[in-house]
Amino acid sequence: MRANLFSTPLDTTLTLFALGLAYVVLAPAIQWLIVDAHWRGTMPADCPDKGAACWPFIRARWDQFIFGLYPQAERWRILLGAGIGIIAALPLFMPRFRYKGWLMCLLFILYAGIGKILFVGGVFGLAYVDTGNWGGFFLTIVTAVFVLATALPLAVMLTLGRESSLPLLRLCCSAWLEFWRSVPALVVLFVAIIMFPLFMPPGLEVDKLLRALLALTILMSCYLSEALRGALQAIPPGQYEAADSLGMNYWQKTFLVILPQAIPTALPQITSNFIGLFKETTVLLIIGLYDLLGMVQSAASDPVWLSPGVSATGYLFAALFYWVFCFGLSRYSAVLERRASRFRGKAI
Amino acid sequence: MNMSRRLLIYQLLLVAAVAALACLLFSVTQENLARLGVDSNFDFLFRRAGFEIGQSLIPFSADDSILRAFVVALLNTLVLAMAAIVCASMLGLALGLARLSGNWLLSRMALTYVEIFRNVPALLQIFFWYFVVLRTLPRSAHSTVLWDALVLNNRGLFLPGPADNAGAFVMAAAMLLAIGIAWAVGHWASLRRYQTGRSFPVLSVTLSILGGVPLLAAWGTGMQWEFPQAGRFGYGGGIVLLPEFLALVCGLSMYNATYISEIVRSSFSALPRGQLEAAESLGLSRQVAVRLVLLPQAMRIMIPPLTTVYLNLFKSTSLAAAIAYPEVTSVFVGTVNNLVGQPVTIMALTLVIYAFVSLCIALCLNWYQRRLALRGT
Repeated sequence: MRANLFSTPLDTTLTLFALGLAYVVLAPAIQWLIVDAHWRGTMPADCPDKGAACWPFIRARWDQFIFGLYPQAERWRILLGAGIGIIAALPLFMPRFRYKGWLMCLLFILYAGIGKILFVGGVFGLAYVDTGNWGGFFLTIVTAVFVLATALPLAVMLTLGRESSLPLLRLCCSAWLEFWRSVPALVVLFVAIIMFPLFMPPGLEVDKLLRALLALTILMSCYLSEALRGALQAIPPGQYEAADSLGMNYWQKTFLVILPQAIPTALPQITSNFIGLFKETTVLLIIGLYDLLGMVQSAASDPVWLSPGVSATGYLFAALFYWVFCFGLSRYSAVLERRASRFRGKAI
Repeated sequence: MNMSRRLLIYQLLLVAAVAALACLLFSVTQENLARLGVDSNFDFLFRRAGFEIGQSLIPFSADDSILRAFVVALLNTLVLAMAAIVCASMLGLALGLARLSGNWLLSRMALTYVEIFRNVPALLQIFFWYFVVLRTLPRSAHSTVLWDALVLNNRGLFLPGPADNAGAFVMAAAMLLAIGIAWAVGHWASLRRYQTGRSFPVLSVTLSILGGVPLLAAWGTGMQWEFPQAGRFGYGGGIVLLPEFLALVCGLSMYNATYISEIVRSSFSALPRGQLEAAESLGLSRQVAVRLVLLPQAMRIMIPPLTTVYLNLFKSTSLAAAIAYPEVTSVFVGTVNNLVGQPVTIMALTLVIYAFVSLCIALCLNWYQRRLALRGT
């Protein structure tokens, strides 16, 4: 304790400074969040003090934060879809399960169908739900998962193109990657929303949400490609030579030898890109798609609730939601990294 | 047919396919544009703008051309990016050093900060600053005033500034001159250190040059300062930082500082322990060892990941569109596109400008990285 905190005068000063800072920040925060806050009820009248934290607001709007404007009677479809997804994807998180690649391909194809049938509907007697009504945490998750699932194969192809021995292919791929990596996501989303219809022949309309998802997929594939490229470069040249000497052709070599080693190496980087994507989904609200943050913002500007305390509570709630997911993912990524390094037999 | 010829043919086919796709897109777009009656030339740039911009570095009024509005917006983006990069770097460096410090409490607090702010979206942080902190500040009549010079209210932060354009010009010139002198002094000091081994108090001299030359210039030319004055419609005069600008700088710098602090921490811990031990055994004090032995080596590791963070920060200045701060995205894609209705040209211009500035940032930092690189190894 003494050695850590009070060994020299400078250390003592720093410790006292840190304690003071902690007090100055934490004391008012706890006072506002817990002591002065309104806890009971679900109505605006339950928050008489306009400045204090207002938890009834969260309780009243909870459903909207999770499901957006999805029709109340149809929300079981979201829960069912989420349940199927979680159970089906569970083996992917088991270190012992050996057919992860096959399961991923299967899920990719099957879940596209299941998701379309369950969430959009319009077939098998399920009511049609317009994607304009999608929102809240549901939209955030759909965006993140859809974009990751579609961007990963694209990223693999782009990386292979960029690292290939064909100069023209390499040029095309790197120009494409460098361009999209140098422009902001928001501008690309605006391009997708405003300009995409101009690229399409008349009569062919693409859903607004789908256009935004495609824009994010393009960006994400470029970011992921950077992660995969690093992993490809970390593979010892002997692996390529060994595959060549076994008489494998390019595709056998890539898909049986190189990628099975590169993807686990890139996994921590892919996870951190996924965390970035999860946070990036908030820009959807600027183009009028109400993800979790968008839902919170529009609920907080409802005249019935409007007050400084309510909007502060709303933002803090959203921050907590994002924080739990991103922090959890980053811990998971650390576990993966440790497992991968043990697998390679290295210390770090 | 041999292998290399076959590969060449594949590549030519690829190029042909890309070209065909581009032609197809182009013709469809042309058709659509013709059908909708949308022009796609750049004539609109010279039309009268007809809108005002809340904050601009150069004089701008609704009678100026749209081209000038573009320049104003670009300057706003650059100023915003620069301010956020400087704040994020300083905060990130402080946090990174705190993480490395032997003081348990300090390093834990820095870690807590990093883990909290890294895992909350930047846009959410900007919203928090804007809607919760800055917009709920008291109105003009109840502003917080510090020494009659700093005024903070829900219209923004008011600072004293030069009274007229001549004064602003003098200040800008003096700042540039000060930076030049400081650079020259630093160069001379390091040359002298290499030749004679004598040290020179670079930091304090640099800081006093940076502060002193502009003050001297202001005093010498008899420049008039303008202080924020309470008028009938709120405060005026001096330099005004809009709440949107403050929210963006706070949000973006506090978010990106977490990444910078990780870079600082990991690059210092990547250095071999022997470096510090060797410096200490030569009798260098801890401070000198950090400044002259560890920092130059850590910088070499720091620059490439720092480039990525700076580029991300520059790109995320576009989030300003969410709170309508007049930078490139909100002026081009928002205001001008609604006014003129030429999405293709405006979007192309916006994308090209962002790509161009990103390229410039990357080139600058790559040049700096090459300068720092070990030579002759």
